[in-house]
Amino acid sequence: MKSIRTYLLLALLAIITLVTFVSLLQGYQSSISKAHQLFDERLQNMAEVIAIANQSSQPQSTSNDIHSPSVFFQIWQDDSTLLARSNNAPDTLLTTFDSITGFKDINFANYRWRTFTLRDEALQRWIITAERTDIRYGLAENVVLASIVPIVLAIPIAAFIIWIAIGLGLKPLRDLATQLSRKQADDLSPVLLKDTPDELSQLVTTTNELLMRLNTAFTREQQFSADAAHELRTPISILKVQLHNLQADNKNKLALQPLANGIDRMGQVIEQILSLYRHSPDQALLKQEQLDLAAIVQQVIAEQYDLIVQKNQKISLSNKSECLVKGDQFALETLVQNLIVNASKYTPHNGEILVSINSINNNVNLIVEDSGPGIDESQYDRVFERFYRIHGDRHDSNSLGCGLGLAIVKHIVLVHNADISLDTSSSLGGLKVDVLFPLIKEQL
Amino acid sequence: MQVLLIEDDPALAQALTQTLKREGFTVNHLAEGKQGILAVQTELPDIVILDLGLPDIDGTEVLKAIRIESADLPVLVLTARTSLDDKVKGLDLGADDYLAKPFEVDELLARLRVFERRASTLKHAGLTIGEVSIDSASHQVTVSGEPIDFSRREFMLLKAMMENSGRVQTRDSLESKLYSWGEEVSSNTIEVHIHHLRKKLPNQFIQTLRGIGYIVKPL
Repeated sequence: MKSIRTYLLLALLAIITLVTFVSLLQGYQSSISKAHQLFDERLQNMAEVIAIANQSSQPQSTSNDIHSPSVFFQIWQDDSTLLARSNNAPDTLLTTFDSITGFKDINFANYRWRTFTLRDEALQRWIITAERTDIRYGLAENVVLASIVPIVLAIPIAAFIIWIAIGLGLKPLRDLATQLSRKQADDLSPVLLKDTPDELSQLVTTTNELLMRLNTAFTREQQFSADAAHELRTPISILKVQLHNLQADNKNKLALQPLANGIDRMGQVIEQILSLYRHSPDQALLKQEQLDLAAIVQQVIAEQYDLIVQKNQKISLSNKSECLVKGDQFALETLVQNLIVNASKYTPHNGEILVSINSINNNVNLIVEDSGPGIDESQYDRVFERFYRIHGDRHDSNSLGCGLGLAIVKHIVLVHNADISLDTSSSLGGLKVDVLFPLIKEQL
Repeated sequence: MQVLLIEDDPALAQALTQTLKREGFTVNHLAEGKQGILAVQTELPDIVILDLGLPDIDGTEVLKAIRIESADLPVLVLTARTSLDDKVKGLDLGADDYLAKPFEVDELLARLRVFERRASTLKHAGLTIGEVSIDSASHQVTVSGEPIDFSRREFMLLKAMMENSGRVQTRDSLESKLYSWGEEVSSNTIEVHIHHLRKKLPNQFIQTLRGIGYIVKPL
């Protein structure tokens, strides 16, 4: 069923039409029977009038000129002589005198006729009056037709009024649907309807309860995530500061290096797990803002510059004026940060990283290329899996990592309806990551 | 330099105090926000390191109270929360800088040194990196002892980059600084000024990250 409105309209029109025609049929039948009764009475009266009019005289067979072609009469003597007849009547006996009086149906002159036979005992005559039967049907049909025409003309008008009325009746439902469809992903506020009809009140109540429960669940999850982050990050901070102090006191700095690596690695894993959790598509309650991707990239590179300088890598950004995308600032920062940290991590010392942003047909295309070893094509799909690292933990680059970076990137790409693809950089020879953000739809 | 450290975790506070003392700072540590506000009201420190997650009152409240007391006391906010809202809120409320836990100690020290340099130019003292010295009182720049003329805008940009030495200044952030000084900024203003600055400064003093921004490296 595509539309309740259309369904109701068609159903109502069908019912109206059906009921109308059943009552018309009933009307036709009762008109017919009424017509029979009336016409039979008239036929009988006519016969009686003729009998009385001819009682005192001998009927004149030549002077009985009737103008109506649908009625005739005959007057017969007992000995089967035709005393008189109307000029359109046959001169033969069309019926039998088997009863004293009575009605009969006969065929004559290609018509069906109804006859009435009257017995005049005193004069020993039979008076027969007849009338064509189709007249009474014609009358009944006229009566029915007269009542059909206004109904047939009224149906389109009724359809129009019903259409409007159903539309008004369904308005609350439409309002509810509009409100729900306009809801932003992060809007879990209750639905409000003016004058909620009884039929919808349960739906609205249940929807609002669901929204409220969802809101509570999200808040709780976010609170949990924030608490977990706090509880995990503070001890790591303590370790880092303590280690720094130890290194400052200790002359043998190399001895503490494995400890430093261990702490860094633990810190990174915690950050990445928190990030993966926060950006998983079913957790993400994203703000949708219009953001300049180039500004985000500049910001992230500035923040990660120490990492790049340590390996003496060259990094540059090329972009055309405005690169507006719609999304969540924090999520996009995380995405760019993961791509740039990855590029720096897997590119050797003195290597090169090239970030470019282009707009193609209103799509914004973010490309990060590096001069590192790249990724074998057979691994393109697997690198987005969680905790997957090429060559396991014995990675050539000897760098820290837990294999979550690209999984996080993938999540963020998903919630932004963007696309990500990997390729080999034609200019630098390493990995080329290509993120395509969709067209920004103008807000209505 | 007097550092007021407002941090509720005793282990972290103890370790940080030790680190900062080693670097030559005088550290006053407090574990609660209200005590912190009181301390600032009693005597202004040179720098405040403020943890946003405090047991008694929210760190942002402390920040507001500090800003009432002093508009330009440098405040470095530490937080274990990393949602962007916290960062924006902290900076909007007047934090000068923001570090997310777990931070690198070197990063923390680098940011404190930016505060130091800024404090010294605020007090109209000089700031020297390599062969370049600026004097914010007289708007004088000397390169290898030779005084050189700089326009007002060039001086402002150089000062911003030298104060933040070691950190990349993005084109956007330099542009918004010029804006905040009431200057007209067109699309290539920054490039033009940097080009002029370069001609007057030693080779490689200002390094370019193409498309990203500029950096003056500390020596």
